[in-house]
Amino acid sequence: MSAPAIEFTGVSRWFGDTVALADVSFTADGGVIGLLGHNGAGKSTTLKLSAGFSTPSSGVVRIFGVDPRRTPAVYRRVGIVPDHSPPWPFLSARRVVELTARLHRVDDFRTAAAAAIETVGLEAAADRPVGEFSHGMRQRVKLAQALAHDPELLLLDEPLNGLDPAQRSHVIELLTRLGQEGRTVIVSSHVLHEVERMAPRVLVLVNGHLVAEGATDAIRRLISERPRRVLVSPDGNGRELARELLGLADVDAVRLANGTIEIETSDPTALSRELPLAAQRTATLLRGIRPVGDDLESVYAYLHERARGQAR
Amino acid sequence: MIDPVFTLTLRALLLQKRTIVLALVAAAPALMALIYALARGPGSHDHSFYSDLVQQLFVPTVASLIALVFGVSAFGDEREDGTILYLVATPQARLRLVLAKIAAAWAAALILLVPSLVASGFLSLGHGRTAGLIGWPLLGVVLASLAYCAAAVLLSLYTRRPIVIGVIYILLWEGSIATFAASAAKLSISAYGRAFVGHVLPQASRPVAGTAVSGIVLIAVAAVAAWATARALGRVELP
Repeated sequence: MSAPAIEFTGVSRWFGDTVALADVSFTADGGVIGLLGHNGAGKSTTLKLSAGFSTPSSGVVRIFGVDPRRTPAVYRRVGIVPDHSPPWPFLSARRVVELTARLHRVDDFRTAAAAAIETVGLEAAADRPVGEFSHGMRQRVKLAQALAHDPELLLLDEPLNGLDPAQRSHVIELLTRLGQEGRTVIVSSHVLHEVERMAPRVLVLVNGHLVAEGATDAIRRLISERPRRVLVSPDGNGRELARELLGLADVDAVRLANGTIEIETSDPTALSRELPLAAQRTATLLRGIRPVGDDLESVYAYLHERARGQAR
Repeated sequence: MIDPVFTLTLRALLLQKRTIVLALVAAAPALMALIYALARGPGSHDHSFYSDLVQQLFVPTVASLIALVFGVSAFGDEREDGTILYLVATPQARLRLVLAKIAAAWAAALILLVPSLVASGFLSLGHGRTAGLIGWPLLGVVLASLAYCAAAVLLSLYTRRPIVIGVIYILLWEGSIATFAASAAKLSISAYGRAFVGHVLPQASRPVAGTAVSGIVLIAVAAVAAWATARALGRVELP
């Protein structure tokens, strides 16, 4: 049986007192896998460890069954899009891709580079120096150099950054196709809706911890079903409305402070139906309704808390 | 076929703005030799100026600093801008990558140093010049530059301040301590480089070793540094 494309076993990485990754284990072998998390969650550290650019403080990282830091030959099977700019800005995009293909021991590196440049839609600018490129074009050069040697594993650090909507769609289509071909594509992002367009599976990192892992749909459901908080500003003191809300099945908790009602619910859709009716029943005029903690940070914080709760 | 890593690195090194400053540093001994040639009397065959120029300025300061800067830049600049990732993430043997880097830094250094040394010899020796008087010091500069470049490449992977450490080694250790402590000179790259000058020109102090031993030591320093750098590539944290 062949070794999986990537295998993390109890991997931790710390820098001084800062824990960048804490006891992370997962296996990836085939398909697109989204690596999701806020900035500083450990996505780049995970990719750097996978790429052999960093050594774990503890645990084991394997690519196709080997340690890439000791076995450089494995890079023939790996394409990497790092966070950094493309190399050699004084060279044309074509030359950069040809060189990286040649360094990956591709026999016909010119043809391979031309095909990769076409794949990312960069033919028109291929003979211009990379140093003159926009951020989006540089991203595509990085993608082309990662694809030119036809790798089985792709490690892509935020590959959609700097791309316009049409380019994003093109890259998402491309990565989806590569995943369907059986390649393993790890894509980091902090935007869930982008990841779910291409990755049937996601790994969610929060503060260096792998807090959720599985099918993208299931993670999406988990996130949408998390308890939500809503702030309601009633006209008047709102006591009667608060009491009414406490009686609703979908309301988990109600707090009244300074004339504002804070509602905690596990079903915001039901609450959106029930709240106007409750206001009508108590003859309360609503001056404002505002969700709290609906930003991405709060979503990740919830997943983190949930993972800690499960661990306990 | 020339290694693409070598040609790319050489091109990147020579296109840097700091190369202009290094070229001026390299030209300084030739300029001094020109002034000396214009000032000396006709028919003078005194070698002492050339001897001092090579032993006290060219090898210990000019060659060492230029080789240090190019050696540090060969990997150091790519570490800063992330280009190193695109090299490391290839199936190339680490030693091969390192040798290409050292060779590029060495070639860049020699492009500046060789013309300057040859011009210094021609100008300051006048009609008294011989192939040996220029060739032996040149060999010393060539081999010392190789050792400095290799050591600087290693330094650039292990420390964030390779230039500072390199300059401290060159000025404090080689330029000060090793000049009055004979045993310290055994750990001085420049002392072995100067041993080649001593083969044809008088030396102020006893050479640290003969030319054969010095050559072996300088090549060994380069080889060990190359091997250690190749090992370091698989261990150090990359950007």
